[in-house]
Amino acid sequence: MTVYWIFLAHKENTMSSLEDDLKQLIIDSLDLEDISVEDIDSQEALFNEGLGLDSIDALELGLAIRKKYNVRIDAEKDDVVKIFASVAALAEFIESERH
Amino acid sequence: MQQDFILQKWAVWPPLQADAEQDLARQGELLASVPKMLKRRLSSLAKIVFCAANQCIDEHTIIPTVFSSAHGELAKSFALMEMLEAGEEISPTAFSLSVHNAIAGLFSMAWQNKLQCTVVAPGEEGLAAAFIEALGLLREGAEQVLLVFYDEPMVDFYPFAPFKLSADESRALALRIAKSGEGQAVKMSSLPLTGNDGEQPVQLPAFIRFLEEPQARLTLKTPRHSWRWEKMLNQHSSRGKLHG
Repeated sequence: MTVYWIFLAHKENTMSSLEDDLKQLIIDSLDLEDISVEDIDSQEALFNEGLGLDSIDALELGLAIRKKYNVRIDAEKDDVVKIFASVAALAEFIESERH
Repeated sequence: MQQDFILQKWAVWPPLQADAEQDLARQGELLASVPKMLKRRLSSLAKIVFCAANQCIDEHTIIPTVFSSAHGELAKSFALMEMLEAGEEISPTAFSLSVHNAIAGLFSMAWQNKLQCTVVAPGEEGLAAAFIEALGLLREGAEQVLLVFYDEPMVDFYPFAPFKLSADESRALALRIAKSGEGQAVKMSSLPLTGNDGEQPVQLPAFIRFLEEPQARLTLKTPRHSWRWEKMLNQHSSRGKLHG
């Protein structure tokens, strides 16, 4: 039971640092100069509402993720709307693809 | 060809007499109304286009537009080609902003301007091509048209030296023209005279001087013919210095 709890805590830690890294990647690759990591809520919508990104940003972010994490988001096979819904969703997808 | 129009307003950016500090502050003011998410996509060339245009229309003006640039965002295209040569993947954003109508597209989004928009790459006809397009729109019934000319110095890579197609400075000139009403009446005509006064980037300073100074007419020669603009006497303003 204790071991299981430590595993969960470890997983949460890596997820939140991945989420922060993703936030920084979003800021850098999309030229969001006035925004800092703290300003982005992991659960907040990335597109339209929320952060207000658009379709070109999605392509740019896809490229940045491919370069940094070697994870390819395939518009034909993957549920792009779900993957790009929020930083949390994006982190979950990248985590699952890396394992 | 001969065609009359009314020049309602014009503006140039950056000013010919540069004042670095003052110009930077004014540029900030002129771009203040551009939504943040769009502003991050503005290149330095797009910014001067927006600053010139902004002085000729207000935020709520919906107007057909004609943009004209000899080279557009050539520096962006060149940077992308260098990346391709190096085997790198190119940025989708940079690609979308490198096309010839990129700045016009950003402009229409920032101003929510959904009327007709044309972007001309005029070659050796220079300034005349966009004027012909704009005069055609007036003829078709548009009340007024916004014309914006812009270019930046070409990337050094291109062997432009023997040709007259690159200027030393980036500059944008915006003009709001109409079929009738108040403003300076101008007659545009073509002449059989041939020569070579250069392409748009080289013609632009001469045209700005024509607007600024009391000179009555400007003739720009191309290898095929010449184009002439003449300030006409009209009831609203006498021939002479026009105020931008």
